[in-house]
Amino acid sequence: MELLEQLTFLERGIIAGLLIGFTAPLIGAFLLVRRMTIISEGLSHVTLTGITAGVLMIQTAAWLEWVNPLYTGLLFSLLGSLAIEKLRQVYKHFSELAVPIILSGGVGVSAVMISIAATSYTEWYNYLFGSIVTVSLNDLFFSLGVGAAALLILGLFYKELLSLSFDSEFAAASGIPARRLNFIFSLLIALVISMSIMIVGILLVGALITLPVAAAVLFAKSFRQVMILGILFGEAAVIGGIISSYYLNVATGGMIVLTGVILLAGAVLVRRLMDIFSSSRKEESTA
Amino acid sequence: MIDVFLQYDFLRYSFYTSVLIGFLAPIVGVFIVVRRMSLMADALSHITLTGIAFSLLLGRHFSLFAGANPVYMGMVFAVGGSILTENLRRTYRFYQEIAIPIILSSAVGIGVVFISLADGFTTDLFSYLFGSVSAVSEGDFQMVLLLTGAVSLLLLLFYKELFFLSFDEEQAVVSGLPKQWMHFLFIIITAVVIGLSMQIVGILLVSALMTLPVAAAMRLASSFKQMFIYSVLIGEVSVMSGLVAAFHLDTAPGGMIVVINILLLLIILGITSAGGTMQRRGRRGTA
Repeated sequence: MELLEQLTFLERGIIAGLLIGFTAPLIGAFLLVRRMTIISEGLSHVTLTGITAGVLMIQTAAWLEWVNPLYTGLLFSLLGSLAIEKLRQVYKHFSELAVPIILSGGVGVSAVMISIAATSYTEWYNYLFGSIVTVSLNDLFFSLGVGAAALLILGLFYKELLSLSFDSEFAAASGIPARRLNFIFSLLIALVISMSIMIVGILLVGALITLPVAAAVLFAKSFRQVMILGILFGEAAVIGGIISSYYLNVATGGMIVLTGVILLAGAVLVRRLMDIFSSSRKEESTA
Repeated sequence: MIDVFLQYDFLRYSFYTSVLIGFLAPIVGVFIVVRRMSLMADALSHITLTGIAFSLLLGRHFSLFAGANPVYMGMVFAVGGSILTENLRRTYRFYQEIAIPIILSSAVGIGVVFISLADGFTTDLFSYLFGSVSAVSEGDFQMVLLLTGAVSLLLLLFYKELFFLSFDEEQAVVSGLPKQWMHFLFIIITAVVIGLSMQIVGILLVSALMTLPVAAAMRLASSFKQMFIYSVLIGEVSVMSGLVAAFHLDTAPGGMIVVINILLLLIILGITSAGGTMQRRGRRGTA
């Protein structure tokens, strides 16, 4: 603990960033095979609603000062995932409507609360787009705690989640409680989102969950490889983003995503070249 | 309450514009929802942000772009982004649904880098994100009028083709409809409507105006025509009351419009599901 207290703001940001670069692609790999990557966008936008609600609460009620807006963000994100499930049932034939409804509803409510709360625009921009400079010691503890909890949950339920993701019917038949596991999975997504906000910002969390695994899946031959390559791409994006944002004096979240986009573009290019190369070799061998 | 809007020029043009988009966005939204593209609307609106940020950046360095309304660059980016999405769908043949999250999150990330380079983290950015009551000048309004006319005309001309394509794509293609061209035309229409609507409701909330009224109308309508009528009705009510409320309460109009829209949706969901159970009970009673 004392070691952590001696860190400079930059070191704090880098540690938190590395942790996110590790955890976000892990969740992303599960979301990818469950074909649910878009849910991370929906929930991150709802987290914004929670954070604005938290900030507003602190402002209006002094006895609530101990509340960290990140907690309310986490809570809202969980409620959001329940609401998405509910809406999926309501719109049985148009179940893809659930995420846009929650996403836009979440942003709408937060826009109103942002206008009401008398907080400076800079602070909102930090929540929206992330800022490495503002990572306080408390934020770092929050990130470490939440990250550890997320990894622990993932480790405990790894097998069940895997079987639910790849063959939900088989999982149900073999007695895995799908409903409870889905809730645990939503909890995992919510945890990862809330721990990432201080560095990359709400609007960019989805990128760290999606982009690394999108690059990984182009090369991976197994689920394990998707996770490992995803983490490598994720960490590369975080490190590259933090360093370049420091030297170019550009918003950290933006640079992390931009590095991720460049890595993904490179991956797509390499994949296509490999395909062209291997198909021309095949033609040669058949000729 | 509305008198104020007719009294001052800058409010009058916003009011007229909102009446137009309250009509246009839900109409295009019906096609979007029926074609299962509601997430696409979210992705396109986020790319519009990238375009706007790029235009702001250009405006700082080249005087040629300084006077231009950034919305048009946003529309161009939206069309480009949709082409890229199609391309990504072909790259990820087995995980097509990942194309939209990739585009959505990359768009915001790159947008943030542009904004950051243009030193644009100011109040202006907030009105781009969440809308503004007084963003429409007389010149803007003439353009809005012109584009609304063009979009309405295109929708009228190609109504049958779009209808056919939305409900039975295979049959439509077999009967010789140029699917690619129609799709492209539809994307351009969507991009234009997003560009128009964002001036009032803001980028993060445009898709709400396209999906929420339709989601509500869907629960009430028993035919495709009724869906148009109900969505426009719900759209207009929420846009107008939202704008007026936002002006008097001094909040972001986009937020107010979406909140009213969400309330309407909740009321309709409550009524229809209560009605549904009543019907079921009634049926059980007669049996």
